[in-house]
Amino acid sequence: MIPDFEYAIYVWTSYGIFAAVIAWQFLQPQLRKRRIEAEVREEKALQTGTYDDANP
Amino acid sequence: MIVRSMSALIARDLRLAVRHGGESLMPLIFLFSVIILIPLGVGPGPNLLAAIAPGMIWVAALLASLLALENLFRPDLEDGTLEQWWIGFCPAGALVVARLFSHWLITAVPVIVFAPLAAQMLYLPAEALGVLVLSLLLGTPILSLVGGLAAALTLGTNRGSILLSILVFPLVVPVLIFATGAVSAAADDLSARAHLGMLGALLILAITLVPLATSAALRLNIE
Amino acid sequence: MIWKTIKVNFHRLGSPPTFYRLAQVLSPWLWGGFVLCAAIGLYQALYVVPPDYQQSDSFRILYIHVPSAWQAMAGYVVMAILAVIALVWRIRTVEIMAMAGAPIGAAFTFICLATGSLWGRPMWGTWWAWDARLTSMLVLLFIYLGIMGLYAAFEDRRKGARVACILILVGVVNIPIIHFSVEWWTTLHQGATIRLFSGESTMHESMMPPLVWMTIAVKLMFGAALLDRARNDLLDQDRRKGWVQARLGEAA
Repeated sequence: MIPDFEYAIYVWTSYGIFAAVIAWQFLQPQLRKRRIEAEVREEKALQTGTYDDANP
Repeated sequence: MIVRSMSALIARDLRLAVRHGGESLMPLIFLFSVIILIPLGVGPGPNLLAAIAPGMIWVAALLASLLALENLFRPDLEDGTLEQWWIGFCPAGALVVARLFSHWLITAVPVIVFAPLAAQMLYLPAEALGVLVLSLLLGTPILSLVGGLAAALTLGTNRGSILLSILVFPLVVPVLIFATGAVSAAADDLSARAHLGMLGALLILAITLVPLATSAALRLNIE
Repeated sequence: MIWKTIKVNFHRLGSPPTFYRLAQVLSPWLWGGFVLCAAIGLYQALYVVPPDYQQSDSFRILYIHVPSAWQAMAGYVVMAILAVIALVWRIRTVEIMAMAGAPIGAAFTFICLATGSLWGRPMWGTWWAWDARLTSMLVLLFIYLGIMGLYAAFEDRRKGARVACILILVGVVNIPIIHFSVEWWTTLHQGATIRLFSGESTMHESMMPPLVWMTIAVKLMFGAALLDRARNDLLDQDRRKGWVQARLGEAA
């Protein structure tokens, strides 16, 4: 039983907000982790002198 | 000995406030600029003004207490006095209470004294004046305590002022609700006892617990 | 013997590399559990449960509104417990976990307020009311934001975490206010319908299963997101330390 027409917009918007926020809670840490790891690698490369300008 | 240290600190704070002159008048200037601007902003209808008077006076009291918070502990942190609080024989918690008390004397007492006049300017019924003063007496110490806590928490940061208001606002919501509730009830010839009782309970809760948290926060910030 | 092993392993969790490894193993399982429970819960909530006789289909919002509200409060309680542990025993991983809870709790408070508003529009005829429960939930959101702001404002992360832990403990007073607000003040928001310990729930049995599934799902998701965020904070703070360097060297 899909929510009937009268209330559908409220119900679907609520579930949409829920999905969006949860997705963001999942994605944001992944993105941040990738960024930190890239920074650490870059720092390491700068120190060891293997830094590649064209392809960091 | 403890009482002497505390009264010495209060006396020093008051003397500083008096010598700074202009700054100690800020709460009053604030109160009256709010009171004068409101009728200009919302129109001079007595009914409307009387209805919003308790809220306006309370908001003015809240903002007045926020004004002086930024420098509640900071100068003492910068010149090293704050560290002495933990080295001296007097328990730091007592000095924190003394400092908060002088903050209350400087920012809240002038507002409480002039609140009846301000309320009259906003046509608040005369029956509610007593309750207004009582609610201010019970409520403004909570504002000082919570404000002091927020000042202590943000002491180690360099953009304290924005954070301060964010931290104070949610914690003083109950005070505003019960205080304005009490005054509005009195203005409508209802009993304000329930609201004032809650306000008193909040005050007791705040007096017992907040200084502990404040001194813990100060301690962390001077480490 | 077994007790001692448990104790030693528990203490090892205070060590960042060990904690990091555990979080790495645990987090995918928790996310998996969340997806599973949420799939069952959402299917039941949207297709199986019959419409309410008064509210028709709009009550389906309940299945995300209520679990989020519970989690917003439960998350705060979890943070408060972690804050006590962090302040008393000064364990760094616990400090970081307590701080990692704030953005997730804020997210659930936001979901709760937003969906409540969307539910209030057709049912109460208004998006927002200055009702006790709504106001105290808004206050909770601001406390969460205050904790995040305070933590972020410090140069020294550990000091920031400890100071913010004090703020967490002060903010605890708001939790009973939210919980009892519907009983102390009779306003627009309805009273509690679900009772775990005393008396019977006033909700029909057929409506219960999706709520249970969604609540479990949301709890698992909180745990997973908490571990993910705590792991990142550790990585960020320890980026110059040996174990991070070694870990990244391995992966590369």
